[in-house]
Amino acid sequence: MELSLLYFVKILVAVLAIIALMVGNAIVMVYVERKAAGFIQRRPGPYEVGPWGTLQAIVDSMKLLAKQIFVPANADYILFFLAPILAFFPVLLLFLPIPFGPYLTSWETPDGIILILAFAGFGVLSNLLGGWASNNKYGVLGAARAVSQSIAYEIPLILALLAVIYQAGTLNLSEIVEAQGSWPWQWNLVCQPLAFFIYLVSLVAETNRAPFDLPEAESELTAGFHTEYSGMGFALFFLAEYANMLLVSFVCATFFLGGYKGPILDGFWWTFIKAYLVMFFIVWIRWTFPRVRFDQLLNINWKWLLPLSLLNLWVTAIVIKVIG
Amino acid sequence: MRAIWDNIKGLYSLLVGMKITIVFLFSPRKTVHYPRKVVERENVENYRGPLELTRGKKDPAKTPCISCQLCVKACPGNCITVVKGKEGKAPSLWTYDFSYCCLCGACVETCPTGALAFSHRVYMVAKSREELLLDLLADLDDRVKKSPQLEAKTDAKSDAKSEAKTDSKADAKAGAPAKKDGEEPSPA
Repeated sequence: MELSLLYFVKILVAVLAIIALMVGNAIVMVYVERKAAGFIQRRPGPYEVGPWGTLQAIVDSMKLLAKQIFVPANADYILFFLAPILAFFPVLLLFLPIPFGPYLTSWETPDGIILILAFAGFGVLSNLLGGWASNNKYGVLGAARAVSQSIAYEIPLILALLAVIYQAGTLNLSEIVEAQGSWPWQWNLVCQPLAFFIYLVSLVAETNRAPFDLPEAESELTAGFHTEYSGMGFALFFLAEYANMLLVSFVCATFFLGGYKGPILDGFWWTFIKAYLVMFFIVWIRWTFPRVRFDQLLNINWKWLLPLSLLNLWVTAIVIKVIG
Repeated sequence: MRAIWDNIKGLYSLLVGMKITIVFLFSPRKTVHYPRKVVERENVENYRGPLELTRGKKDPAKTPCISCQLCVKACPGNCITVVKGKEGKAPSLWTYDFSYCCLCGACVETCPTGALAFSHRVYMVAKSREELLLDLLADLDDRVKKSPQLEAKTDAKSDAKSEAKTDSKADAKAGAPAKKDGEEPSPA
């Protein structure tokens, strides 16, 4: 790895582009999500601000910017402000190894997926700190749930990705894309359907989205770990949630859906189309399924996903040994 | 073994649910944008708005009320006041405090002449408590002024005990109160 000025500039530009992508994604996805929620419930969704309510998300973010930041009594002041920052900024790093296009990778590294999986842990840490530092019982409960849920679901998630990594024989995300073909039946989705399914379930739990949104379950914990956050603190958690969704969608597109490869004209548009299809899937199931109970959540993980992912990994390893 | 099979069957039910929501996502909306549009008449047919006096069989300009006070006694909230007039049985005062009304329908059920019915005024607005003290005789006069020619058809409505709504009834009611509903949102 040479540390030239050009290299530094490239990383800087990439980080700026990723910030723009994250913020733009959050604004678009908030609108899409609210509109989809409305349509699924047979009502119009946001409609009043701008044509068909398109400016609603922007106006909402303006409101959040202008709001007073409120710190509860006896809150741990430093951790309270550290938590939203810690939620948002590590996600920037996670986008670096993702190959958006054949030549559009921010940082070509041989251990891309390790970087992503390692730094994804910061999301949980920020939830824990935020819930703990708020000096609020709902916050602590939400934080405890976030930790046990994320730790549980990280295992099948990693094992599902590991089956694909065995197959491709590399940790580099670009090479994993290259190992797949252009046509849908050449993607890892077809030869690793179980891993794909396990990954799909785990990513919903990992990003704390409904039906696995127990850390912020509105009906039980008001807002869980971010109950006491207002203004930009809340906005940063919110941005981080959508950025995490985008990240897992990109990883899903890279690992299982052929990344930037498509039937015609390979390029970054395929990555974006596939990632946003996964995003739409996340939104879709959020407005379809009720929230599971916490014991059910852990039962799904420990009794189903973990044995299945281990079995999948084992079969993959044997098949690779026999064939290769 | 049984539990495992049940869980796999459960996965199928998840797919059924997802199919329902994706169909709903692409089907037309069921709600209306309120200030610009109002709900269609047939959607509020069973809406219980404030009470209104029905129109008589013989003389559609007058109420069939005979001032028997049964509704006053039946009302659990004491929100009805009926004062008998000097000539005949017709009431001279018929007020009704909507703020106390729980819309239970006891008065409608008990009325021997079918002089009472629930209106369908979905968009009723009151800015003070006093505005909820409704003078139903004046309200009836208003409706008569708006459509004096509305005749025998209203009879169907006077049979308040028959719950089943026939088509003719719906047609008859689509007259005067419907116009009123349409007008109410505009000042709001």
